[in-house]
Amino acid sequence: MKYLFKPLLIIFSFVALTSCSDDDEGPRLEEVESSTASNIPAPQTGGQGQGEISGEFTKFSFATGTVTTSDTEWDLAFRGTTIAINGGAATGTNDEPTRNGNGGVSIQTGTFASITSADGLTYTQDADGAYAIPAGSDNGWYNYNFMTNVVSPIPGKIFVIRTHDGKFAKVEFLSYYRDAPANITPDIANNDLRYYTFSYVYNPNEGETDLTAPE
Amino acid sequence: MSLNKFNYWLILIALIPLGTSAQYESPSDSILTENLDEVVVTATRTLRQLSSLPLPVTLISQKQLQQTGVTRLNEILNEQTGIIMTPDATIGGGEGVQIQGIASDYVMVLIDGVPILGRSSGNLDLSRLAVGNIKQIEIVKGPSSSLFGSEALGGVINIITENPSSKQINGQISHRSATFNNQNTAVSLNQKAGKVGYSFFADRLSTDGYDLTPTETESQTVNPFYNYTFNGRVIYDMSDQLQLFASGRYFFQEFDIAPSTSEETDFNAHLRLDHNPSEKVNLQYELYYTNYTTNEKAIDPIDDTLLIENDFDQQLFRPEIRFNYAFSDTNTFTLGAGYNFENLDRSLFTNSVSFESQYVFSQYDFIPLKNLNVIVGARFDNQSEYNSQLSPKFSARYDISPTLAIKGSVGSGFKAPDFRQLYLDFTNAAGGGYSVFGKNVEQQALQRLEDNGQIANLQINNASQLGEALDAESSVGYNLGLAYKKGKLSAEINAFHNDFTNLIDTQILATKTNGQNVFGYINRESVFTQGLEVDLKYKPLTNLSINAGYQLLFAYDKNKRDAVADGEVFARDNTTLQTIALSSSDYFGLENRSRHTLNARVFYDIPEWGTNANIRVTYRSRFGLTDRNGNDLLDEFDDSFVEGYALVNLAFGKTFFEHYQLQLGANNILDFQGQNPLASQDNELLINPGAQFFARLNIQF
Repeated sequence: MKYLFKPLLIIFSFVALTSCSDDDEGPRLEEVESSTASNIPAPQTGGQGQGEISGEFTKFSFATGTVTTSDTEWDLAFRGTTIAINGGAATGTNDEPTRNGNGGVSIQTGTFASITSADGLTYTQDADGAYAIPAGSDNGWYNYNFMTNVVSPIPGKIFVIRTHDGKFAKVEFLSYYRDAPANITPDIANNDLRYYTFSYVYNPNEGETDLTAPE
Repeated sequence: MSLNKFNYWLILIALIPLGTSAQYESPSDSILTENLDEVVVTATRTLRQLSSLPLPVTLISQKQLQQTGVTRLNEILNEQTGIIMTPDATIGGGEGVQIQGIASDYVMVLIDGVPILGRSSGNLDLSRLAVGNIKQIEIVKGPSSSLFGSEALGGVINIITENPSSKQINGQISHRSATFNNQNTAVSLNQKAGKVGYSFFADRLSTDGYDLTPTETESQTVNPFYNYTFNGRVIYDMSDQLQLFASGRYFFQEFDIAPSTSEETDFNAHLRLDHNPSEKVNLQYELYYTNYTTNEKAIDPIDDTLLIENDFDQQLFRPEIRFNYAFSDTNTFTLGAGYNFENLDRSLFTNSVSFESQYVFSQYDFIPLKNLNVIVGARFDNQSEYNSQLSPKFSARYDISPTLAIKGSVGSGFKAPDFRQLYLDFTNAAGGGYSVFGKNVEQQALQRLEDNGQIANLQINNASQLGEALDAESSVGYNLGLAYKKGKLSAEINAFHNDFTNLIDTQILATKTNGQNVFGYINRESVFTQGLEVDLKYKPLTNLSINAGYQLLFAYDKNKRDAVADGEVFARDNTTLQTIALSSSDYFGLENRSRHTLNARVFYDIPEWGTNANIRVTYRSRFGLTDRNGNDLLDEFDDSFVEGYALVNLAFGKTFFEHYQLQLGANNILDFQGQNPLASQDNELLINPGAQFFARLNIQF
């Protein structure tokens, strides 16, 4: 069903694109979107002495650039420091969203601007017991400093995302704290955590791998 | 000075039982001159003249301790060249000593040649050690595991307590009052009557503590506490050939944090028999027992429920035998062997754990050529719980001329994995449910979690690594220097390089089904410290001494430095949130290391007025506390740097009516307080509590 559906979708979107094209120079591509998602809340219950970690993940869609409650049209989902992707199998944690897309992630090293294409990369999906974006400090997207009690995104880690519907985006996490403050005080570290801010570039065109931010 | 003559002297000294070494303790010795009588034991475990050693050694005399008015070991160490007391990065933590850029975890601290237990996260709190009954403090820089075994990588600090020497009962009582309601009373008594000598020392310190966060009123940085130190000893000359030494020491400290409690005790008992069956042979039989305990209870002030109880009880028992043989005037052979029985009972461990180790060491100190002194030595430590260690050391000194000598040494050091790294079996129920397992229990512990269905998946590539023995952390240290001494001036310059491998780090072993991780320990980090030390002593007048010291230091993690050089490390500017590729010059190096440290000390004596005065200045340049932008290394974009600062201390002493000494002084008289970059926005966070003034009255009888 899945395999049948996908080519159909491609054909459909191709037709849709060409049909609204005014000129004859081929299909016009939608503009690559460059944006920053701010304060995506990622609450969790439990953990830090309050029992097992649980609670709904907050789901995010690149196509809308917003948080979504859709059970299917989502790409990344956040709970605490854990990030799920809409592709692969259940990891086995509590309350995780059902993965029904074909999302995946490829972790690259560089500045955000230096990652310009999603082509030729190997994409990992969530799997039983393992997130595609590995959990834990200094392992996936963040470092936890036990001296300052601060979670900092690892600079230079760029996450190239294949969305649930096979499009591409790149993501750089900037902050885990509300309003991405420059100085994370002990007060902020204790009270304003679990708010993601990240830059992303999303190419809404099926099959297009270009991830250069528009000028 | 003729070396032959010197060695004759040395052998003579080495063969004389310790009781007679009092002849080098004449109270009129000046601390500040390179006295020919300055003798140390830590460098070779035999008595040796300080100025002839091939190793970098710092000696702090009793007179310096007295004239500066310090009461605790940490205060005096900070004024020595290349030795820094560094604050813990988290405010409220203790201070750690740093030698040649090497952290406190890797510095061994001894009292009369036997080790002090009781480290908290690797750091030994030196403010536990009262200096009232100390004859001198010897610091050997660079690795000395060839003589002392585990922990002697960065250096060895050996506190030599005073032996009774006076025929009459001789005693002192003193009281010192200082800022922060810091009250210190000390009493000492000693006598050497015929064949028997004894001494007794008691010290009480209490303080109201101080606050480095004055705008936040809830808690203090250092809580009020009081502590007692008792030390007693007996020496007995059984015959010309036999001397017995027995010493006991007890320390008790309690913090006033009612209704919670925090207590600390430190006990040691040290028994030694010196036997000199002939002029050439010296045998020492030693028994040592020490016990360190802490007992902490955090109690909820509202409903009196016990929140956390953390107990720690560590014991060490060590018999050791040493044998010195003088083949001739110019060469001494040393052989020693011992057995360690160690035990730790700790709240965070499932069971109390014990391990045993055996060791043998040997050293040959000789003069193969005129003006050349060579010391070769090695020690083998056999351990049941981790790989055995062989620690060799070679050092040599060549007197180019009567005023100039070149000296160098290469030695290895190691630090055994500690109990925590081997046996910890800890699941933090209160912190999210992550687990940490020591190397020796990780296999069983993981199996246990697996059987309970708590393991989601293993994170290590090669499961056969599990349960493999952890290696000791090890280092090789190189020192090369020149010593110059002519007339009123003496100068030393020493270049050092310390190469550390197999440092123990944590790794993620597995992910749990609750989303948390299981951590274990692994040997993987390698760091180096290198630099230059310069020490100058100038004595323009009999009663005036000027000392100055400087250390240049570079300290880096090798893997991180390579990663930065390869362009694999990035930083985030916390204000703009921009990511920047780091260049090599952006990597600052290891935390808490200052590139430049300086000290200058001037001591002036006016004997006819019974007066002395001194001023001491220490400076350390800018240093960083911790990574703050997520790349796990300290770089120029981390907002965690403390700007360089200087502390000025001074003291003034006068003797009245022969037996009364009054001392007035100030530490940090310029009232430097600093600003800690880790402060929260509306809270001030200081580096130093500011100026402290003190007055002390000492009565001799």
